[in-house]
Order: sequence, then C-alpha cells, then structure tokens
Amino acid sequence: MKILVNFGAGCILESGNALCFLADILGHIFKGRIRLAEVLKQVYEQGIQSVAIVALTSLASGAVLALQGYAAMGRFGAKEYVAHLVALSLVRELGPVFTALIFSGKAGARITAELGTMNVNDQVLATRTMGVDPVEYLVVPRMVACFLALPILTIISEIVGIAGGYCVGVWEAKIPGIFYLNQTIRAVQYVDFFSGFTKVFFFAVIIGWVSCYQGFFTKGGSLGVGRFTTKAVAYSYIFIILSNAVLTKVILTFWG
Amino acid sequence: MIRILHLSKAFNGQVVLEDISLEIQKGEILVILGESGTGKSVLLKHMIGLLKPDQGEIYMDSQNITRLSEKDLLKMRKNMGYLFQEGALFDFMNVFENIAFPLREHTRLDRGMIRRKVLDILKVIGLEGVEKKYPSELSGGMKKRVALARAIILDSKILFCDEPTSGLDPIRSRDISDLIRDVSRRLHCTTVVTSHDIQNSFRIADRLALLQKGRIVALGAPQELRNSTDLFIKEFIG
Ligand SMILES: Nc1ncnc2c1ncn2[C@@H]1O[C@H](COP(=O)(O)OP(=O)(O)OP(=O)(O)O)[C@@H](O)[C@H]1O
Ligand SMILES: [Mg+2]
Repeated sequence: MKILVNFGAGCILESGNALCFLADILGHIFKGRIRLAEVLKQVYEQGIQSVAIVALTSLASGAVLALQGYAAMGRFGAKEYVAHLVALSLVRELGPVFTALIFSGKAGARITAELGTMNVNDQVLATRTMGVDPVEYLVVPRMVACFLALPILTIISEIVGIAGGYCVGVWEAKIPGIFYLNQTIRAVQYVDFFSGFTKVFFFAVIIGWVSCYQGFFTKGGSLGVGRFTTKAVAYSYIFIILSNAVLTKVILTFWG
Repeated sequence: MIRILHLSKAFNGQVVLEDISLEIQKGEILVILGESGTGKSVLLKHMIGLLKPDQGEIYMDSQNITRLSEKDLLKMRKNMGYLFQEGALFDFMNVFENIAFPLREHTRLDRGMIRRKVLDILKVIGLEGVEKKYPSELSGGMKKRVALARAIILDSKILFCDEPTSGLDPIRSRDISDLIRDVSRRLHCTTVVTSHDIQNSFRIADRLALLQKGRIVALGAPQELRNSTDLFIKEFIG
C-alpha cells in the first residue's frame, strides 16, 4: 500500500515537473527566443538523418499493405481497390504513427542521449555559469526542430509508402500504373490527409517534450544516460500509441 | 566583495559545509586549500549560485544571491568567470568555438575581433594551433587550459577557478597560476581559487583559507599560515 502511495506521489510530482518544463520551453518560444541557426542544425541532425530509415520502412510497409490487400481483395475480385487500401491506411493512420515511432527511436533517443551526456559532464551547468539559459540554448532548438522535422518526414513517408504500394500493384497485381495513380488520387481526400496529419503535430510535441525532459534531468553518469534514454523512448512509444487512440476517436467524431 | 555568512550544506544527510563565514575583498586573490572531498568545489558552486545553501547567506557586494531567481542569477553571471574542475567544455564545439562562446553571447564584437581575441588567448595559454580540435582530442591538461581561457575571455570582474592546476606539469602549473594572478591584478578582479597545489597557491594568493571537514580551520596571508604552529596546517602545507 505504502509503495503504491509513494509511486502515485512520485508520478504526480514527475508530471508536475514535466509540465513546468514544458511551460518554460513554450515561454521561450512565445517570447521569440528561438535561435534559428541552432534550429537549422538540429533539423538537419534529426530530420535529414532519419530520412533513409523512414523511407525504407514506409516503402516496405506500403508494399506489404499492397500484397495483403491484393491477396485479400483478389478473392472478391476487387483488386482495383488495392490503391484505395494502401493510400487510405497510410495517410490516415500508418504514416503518422509509424513515422512518429521511428522518429522517437532515432531523433528522440539522440536528443535524450545528447542532453543527458551534457548534463552529466557539467556542460549544462557550464552554460548557466556563463549566463546563458540552457533551456533557451539547448532545449528550445531541439524542440522546435522536432516540430519542423516530423511533419516533413511524415509526408515523405506517405509518398514513399504509396510508391511501394504502386510497385506491388503494377508488378504483382498487374494493375495499370495510370489507373493505380488515378485511384490513389481519387481515394485520398482533403479530410483523410488532414485527419492523419493533425496527429503529427501532437506526436512531435510529445517526442520533443519527453526526450528533452528526460535528457535535461539525466543524472547518474553514463549508466544514467543509458537509463534515461531508454526511458525516453519507452515513454514516447507509450504516449504516442495511447494518444493516437484518443486522437483517432476525437478526429473521427468531428471529421468522420 | 563577496561575503559568506554562516553557510551550511548537506547532501542526503551528509554534512559537507558547516557554518562557513568568509569575506573576500574586491581585487583579492583567495585560495581555498583542503584535502580531497572536503567541500571546496561545493563551496565554489555556492558562490556562483549553482547550489543553494541549506542555511546561511552569500552577498555579492550588497546583493544576497541566495535569494535571487535563476533569471537574475543568469544576468549576474555574465560578469563572472567560472572554471569547472573537469573543464566542462562543450564537446559539440571545437576549441575556438568554446572560447568564443561567451564573446558571441555577451558582446557585440565582430567576427574578426572575436577571432583575434581567441587566437591571442590561445597563445597566452600555450595552445597555439589547436583551435580546430574538439575537446575529445585534447589531453586533460589542455582541456583545463582551454576551459580557463573560456572563463577569463570576457575580462570579468569576478573569477572562480576550481583546481586550475590539477593535472598539469609543474612548469605549466606555475605558468597558469601566474596567468591567473596577472589577469586578476590587471583587471583588479576578485578571484577565488581552489587548489591542492601548495607551492603555487602560496605564490599567487593574497590570503589562503584551509578547509577541513567542512569548516575553515585557518585563514590568513601566506606568511601567517607558514608561521602557524597548528599541527594540521603544518602537515598540510608541508
Ligand atoms: N551533488 C552532490 N550530491 C551528493 N554529494 C555531493 C554532491 N556534490 C558533492 N558531494 C559530496 O560533497 C563532498 C565534497 O565534495 P567536493 O566536490 O566539494 O570536494 P572537493 O573538496 O572539491 O574535493 P576535490 O579536491 O577532490 O575536488 C564529497 O564528499 C561529495 O561526496
Ligand atoms: Mg573539487
């Protein structure tokens, strides 16, 4: 019982700290204290370096979706709907969620490990002794970069995923290429795209927030860096999956 | 002037500093001596507001810095230099960028001027030609000297150095100690140094404080400490 109470109190305290941290970050952002050069550097490090892995995964997922769709719909003689299936699944659900998960494993882990190492080597303290706010200098650019990089990566992932489906559709299912593309464009409507894309911004905030928070409060030397980095990725995964369920319900209620 | 009044600090029940009172005059060089683990670094971190005391106060001139918010502390620290015991260089920047960092943050000097200042100081600390290297490519002593350069580049009015000479060879130790003294004299800057290095401490200090088990057991000019008859002091300073 006592353990449970302690655990509960710990959780509440931790959430409070995390919220204060987020408020601090947002305060800097709204006051316009954003270092553009640092942001660009971070977008490059987080974004560009995740392009390859995101593209590869979504190419494969798009192809798998098309293969399964062809196998299943072929039975009903409805193979021309493969394009619909691939495009809608990717754009409404899989693109945003997959990209967010990969991004948190790559860029999120990187953020936590970097900030955590700086923390245990006194570099964060050193920033403070030089009269520079470490949240402004180290955290805000990483957070903003998440917010910029993830949407771009998601769009790339969706396009590449559709291309993967296209390849299978054309070579395996023998659907004419033009027809496949036409179907795709007709299938994806404004609503579909934005119902998926809205989530991306939530995911970006979650990943940036969790990763920066864990990194900024890392302690315990190199072991600590390892522990907090794993924690950051695990929390990001959990929050992405859970918030996705909630967001999907909310978005479907309003947009259908 | 820095005034420390009845400062106490404990970590998880382990008392590290106990009722420390100390006054450091403007322009003075004070060296804090003491065995490893007696709380020299902790004391220094209190003076720049990185740690908050459990009890007691610290005044910078007339301002009580234990009451300041982090925002005001950041502003205050723009006029201070701090050398960490482990250097704490930014490992994602090369030596040049590390030393230029305070200049870029707090001055309006143009690129050429910053470049001149950084190269000049590298010459002074005997590290010409390393400006493109990253901290991971430097030896411990080199890192220490780069960190010292970063701490003094702004010509601050207050300078804190946590063991500036540990890990350096005797000649370098002497040169670096002299450098700290020269900087301090030239800028008339209040300087607090912690050290194990008895010989150099006695060379540069106006006054020395000896810390033992979280308390100041001796405080005075080099000559006074040399003449002391206290057993621990005698043993410590050899
Ligand atoms: N953040 C901390 N948390 C817990 N204990 C700490 C912390 N910082 C310092 N201590 C403890 O305070 C004591 C004094 O540490 P400090 O680093 O000030 O020693 P020091 O005099 O600088 O030693 P050295 O000459 O080896 O640098 C040590 O016993 C250390 O265990
Ligand atoms: Mg120390």
